[in-house]
Amino acid sequence: MSQTLALIWDAYRDLNSKKMFWIVLILSALVAASFAAIGLSPTGFKIFYWEIPSPLLNSKEMPPGDFYKSIFLNYGIGFWLTWLATVLALISTASLFPDFLAGGAVDLYLSKPISRLRLFLTKYLCGLLFVMLQIGCFCAASFAVIGLRGGAWEPGIFLAVPIVLLFFSYLFCFCVLIGVWTRSTVAAVLLTFLFWVFTFGVHTTEVTLLTFKLTEESAAVRLDKQIQLTQERLARWQRTAATRPTTRNSDYVTMYQSELKSDRAKRQDMHGVLDRPHAIFYDIKTVLPKTTETVALLERMLISSARLEHVSRDNQDDSGNSSTELNGKPVPMREVQAEMRSRSAGWIVGTSLGFEGVVLALAAWIFCRRDY
Amino acid sequence: MRNNPVEKGNNLNLNCPKLKFGHAPVLSGMIGWTIMSPTASGYAIDLQNVTKIYRRRVHALQGVSMQVNRGEIFGLLGPNGAGKSTLVKIMVTVVRPTSAHGTILGHAIGHKAILSRVGYLPENHRFPRYLSGRQVIEFFSALAKADRSMRKKRAAELLDLVGMTAWADIKISQYSKGMLQRVGLAQALGANPDLIILDEPTDGVDPGGRRDIRQVLLQLRQQGATVFINSHLLSELETVCDRVAILVGGRVARQGSVHELTMPKQCYLFELDSGAWPMVAATFPGAFGLGSPPATGRPARGWLDDKSWCEFDGLALRVGRTDPESVQEIVDALRRNNLVIRRMQLIRPSLEDLFFEAMADPTAQPAALSGATPPPLPGAS
Repeated sequence: MSQTLALIWDAYRDLNSKKMFWIVLILSALVAASFAAIGLSPTGFKIFYWEIPSPLLNSKEMPPGDFYKSIFLNYGIGFWLTWLATVLALISTASLFPDFLAGGAVDLYLSKPISRLRLFLTKYLCGLLFVMLQIGCFCAASFAVIGLRGGAWEPGIFLAVPIVLLFFSYLFCFCVLIGVWTRSTVAAVLLTFLFWVFTFGVHTTEVTLLTFKLTEESAAVRLDKQIQLTQERLARWQRTAATRPTTRNSDYVTMYQSELKSDRAKRQDMHGVLDRPHAIFYDIKTVLPKTTETVALLERMLISSARLEHVSRDNQDDSGNSSTELNGKPVPMREVQAEMRSRSAGWIVGTSLGFEGVVLALAAWIFCRRDY
Repeated sequence: MRNNPVEKGNNLNLNCPKLKFGHAPVLSGMIGWTIMSPTASGYAIDLQNVTKIYRRRVHALQGVSMQVNRGEIFGLLGPNGAGKSTLVKIMVTVVRPTSAHGTILGHAIGHKAILSRVGYLPENHRFPRYLSGRQVIEFFSALAKADRSMRKKRAAELLDLVGMTAWADIKISQYSKGMLQRVGLAQALGANPDLIILDEPTDGVDPGGRRDIRQVLLQLRQQGATVFINSHLLSELETVCDRVAILVGGRVARQGSVHELTMPKQCYLFELDSGAWPMVAATFPGAFGLGSPPATGRPARGWLDDKSWCEFDGLALRVGRTDPESVQEIVDALRRNNLVIRRMQLIRPSLEDLFFEAMADPTAQPAALSGATPPPLPGAS
């Protein structure tokens, strides 16, 4: 235990000596302070003491607590912690293992009565300490801002600590693998960013294909309804034609119906075409870490379902379709959201941790087997 | 083998007077070395057939067997690429052997727990640059499972011992190479180890510092510690080592005490006038006969009646005898033939001579050389 404590204490001193650690911490404080600079009034919003009138963004339309939580989620977490701060954190921690494995440094550790695996895992956890301290400080500052300025003391904000830490650990484990394998900080940073882009690309592609697929499904359902309507109309006309002559042009309706059926068949074909690539990307995504969806878990937890539905209804018509269109067809955002939310936290975190476990096991195996 | 029946930890006297690096007596009672328990026996290091093959191609070690007695200073020599560092790293589990048998402090090689009793200073060490000298010693002592309450006291004492007290709380990024070596040595001693393995401990250290380190090593031995040194500085090893091994091409070319290894190569040198060849040949006809006179770099060689070797290079006659009485007849014979002896000296080969000889012929064993083959000219290499 004394060895583990010594390693953790050493990691803290290492962080303490890094300028980047303090730069990120100061930037986090500035981001949190910038939240406090924005406020809501009954007629608009305020930046410091300058009031800007707004019919949508005012305390009557949105409770201040929700307003600050929204800022925290969209900018604090969505932009700062999961993008900029993560990039800076990766740059800061990427050298952890390559420096540790440098000749003359690792010898000192390996020659002590501590197993290589324990040394590796302790060092890995010490790397996560960097991010945990950063997120912890940022969340504490945001908690205070939302409480003092928004009047909503929301302890759920601190859920960001494990969730963002989880998100970072997906990338960090890959960074450690490359660092242990190549012993190069530059390679670790660059390949980790590439990997991040790759996972993001897979996620975006999967969601895009899902959206297309659901849009086609939605269009097919709509066409089915229209075909049924025309079918009913034709049947009605045929019934009335038997009793009294009519001037209605049933040929036009029949032609319209056949067009609808043709369109329906195309939708069916398109759905079939999209189904396979979507399934492929879904399978790829299953074995990869789900960075975006992991961070989105915080949104699920922090803002109630009712509130989310309220927000999503704002952009949708009565049928649940949004004002956004895809190839001239309305996108069924509600279905897309429902599909995304149907993916359980267990699946998102479990499969991602599975990936992390495999990558860490590989890195640990290289670390433990190598001669230095 | 040194028998110092002092139990580890019983001899700790941390209230000793202030120590200065190089003050020999001060280590006594302070470091508290307890190498041998009263019942302990055997080698500190006993390596049998250690082999290391890198990437199935590079044979770094080819069946190295080596024994280091408890309480001695043992030197490992060898040219670059001989496998010295690989061997040292195998002992401290930094490198995994392809095959190895043997023990370190009575436990199988690779036994992690025993490393708490082993202090190690690697070559070209890189301590965390954000730590001070004191923190380095305390941190690595903690990793070696040193008792928490003793770490700070020991760190202070060891810093004093290596003359780094004034720099104790300054970040090591500001240290010179010599200062890093001093702190590195203190770090190796931090957990009160029974076995200290030092890889190039005097690398980058000035002559004064080297002398100080030598003094510390001698004191460690006096306290019963086993010290294993890997160094290129042959003269230093010769000064402090009880026994040495010379590693060439991944094999032990020579092993033994400096005395054992140099004894067969000792000889008496008689410096004569130039142009003495005909008379020398006439004085020792059984050895040189009517052979051709020696050319530059190719001395005339032969054997005397008692099977001791002799050689003459044109100016100096060397005779493979070490007993002063046994060379009196040589003096008499030379004088009988009116040869003027300008100088007479017992020549003792240095470790450097042995080193170069081992490099030239790694397979030849010292015992086989004893009295049978004239060694290379002392100092010629």
